[in-house]
Amino acid sequence: MSPIVSISRAVKSYGGRGLLDVGALELGRGDLIVLSGDNGSGKTTFLKIVAGLEHADVLHMRCNGFEADRRRYPRELRRQIVYVHQHPYLFNTSIAANIHYGLKLRDVDERERERRVRDAIGWAGVEHLQSVLPAKLSGGEKQRVALARAKVLEPRVLLVDEPTASLDAQARAQVIELLQRTATGDNCVVVACHDKELLELPGAKRWHLDRGRIDA
Amino acid sequence: MYLLDATQQAFLRLAGGDRELWTIVWVSLRVSLLALALATPFAIATGFWIASHRFAGRRFAIVALQGLLSFPTVVVGLILYLLLSRSGPLGPWHLLFTQDAMIIGQAVIAFPVLAAFTLAAVAGADPRLRETAVSLGAGPLRSALTSLYEVRFAVIAGVLNGFGRVISEVGCSMMVGGNIAGLTRNIPTAIALETSKGDFAQGIALGTVLMFFAFVVVALLAVIQEERKPQ
Repeated sequence: MSPIVSISRAVKSYGGRGLLDVGALELGRGDLIVLSGDNGSGKTTFLKIVAGLEHADVLHMRCNGFEADRRRYPRELRRQIVYVHQHPYLFNTSIAANIHYGLKLRDVDERERERRVRDAIGWAGVEHLQSVLPAKLSGGEKQRVALARAKVLEPRVLLVDEPTASLDAQARAQVIELLQRTATGDNCVVVACHDKELLELPGAKRWHLDRGRIDA
Repeated sequence: MYLLDATQQAFLRLAGGDRELWTIVWVSLRVSLLALALATPFAIATGFWIASHRFAGRRFAIVALQGLLSFPTVVVGLILYLLLSRSGPLGPWHLLFTQDAMIIGQAVIAFPVLAAFTLAAVAGADPRLRETAVSLGAGPLRSALTSLYEVRFAVIAGVLNGFGRVISEVGCSMMVGGNIAGLTRNIPTAIALETSKGDFAQGIALGTVLMFFAFVVVALLAVIQEERKPQ
């Protein structure tokens, strides 16, 4: 079965210092990949390059028939690869409007949008928070809303950066469960983390980033 | 006692619907609001562009914009007068001593205020904001609009500050408007004229209206400050 994403090379340096130099990586269907590495090892940079949010010095990447390089990141790829920050940014509006955002950009018809947003809110278990403004949510609640906002778009690739950092045990368990439920069928999830519980998740593939290289 | 008499007269004129007085107020409001409407889209686009792009001369552009904040309005009026006067390059447009000339002048005065507020708001916005919009599928225009929407209170504060600056400016309006009764006479130019004529009642009445506008602007800014606080 062909992989969803093939990265033949990705290189990035800052101020002459090599940060990342990876090659021959594949993200397959249904993969849950846990990417570990020390602080500053380049995990976030790697995820942002794959998501097209950061420029690489060298990039050869293929996803679902579309190719990205250091100059060009096709819009179609942005529609298939979604990145979630370590501390997600929620727009200063309702939770439902946050989840609607990406669907509106994809011109999903209003009735279908309503249905998918309702499902996503239920999936993330945030029904009781619908009247609460994002600024009042806890870290775990924000993370769950951000995952719902990403998942509702049904991306082929979901990139999640340190989703359990600074969460309490209950919030961590909820977020980990959501991540496991996301990596199914035709899509894949890459999670950058230090979390031992995530690193030891049964069925997850482990990648380690060290000195700019990924051990897959 | 003349001060008390003049004040009493002023309030009688305000309450009595003095036609000349309310025409002046109308000219002021019309010119200033149209000037803001003219300047706002360009100023917001400029402020956003400078804040979100790295280019040669960016630092100079920011300093120039901040410098323009304190540019004397009478000098704006002088430059515009030279451009619009019969022998000036824009003389054939016959705009001198019209409301249109005042609108252009006030738009020029409001521009740096609006652009500087937008620039500060966008530059100070959380960098995750734009990344989030882009990652969810927004193109350059949509992510720009989303960013502006997120910092809307700061941008509205800029618009209100711009209104406060243009509604009370006298230098430019006097030079390019000519203070023509019923046409280009606005509150500040009328106050200057009536005071020089010794009609303090009219001056106090118009000053009261101007202070009311200032109070409304300050009140709206206070409401916006409250809205901007994290919930």
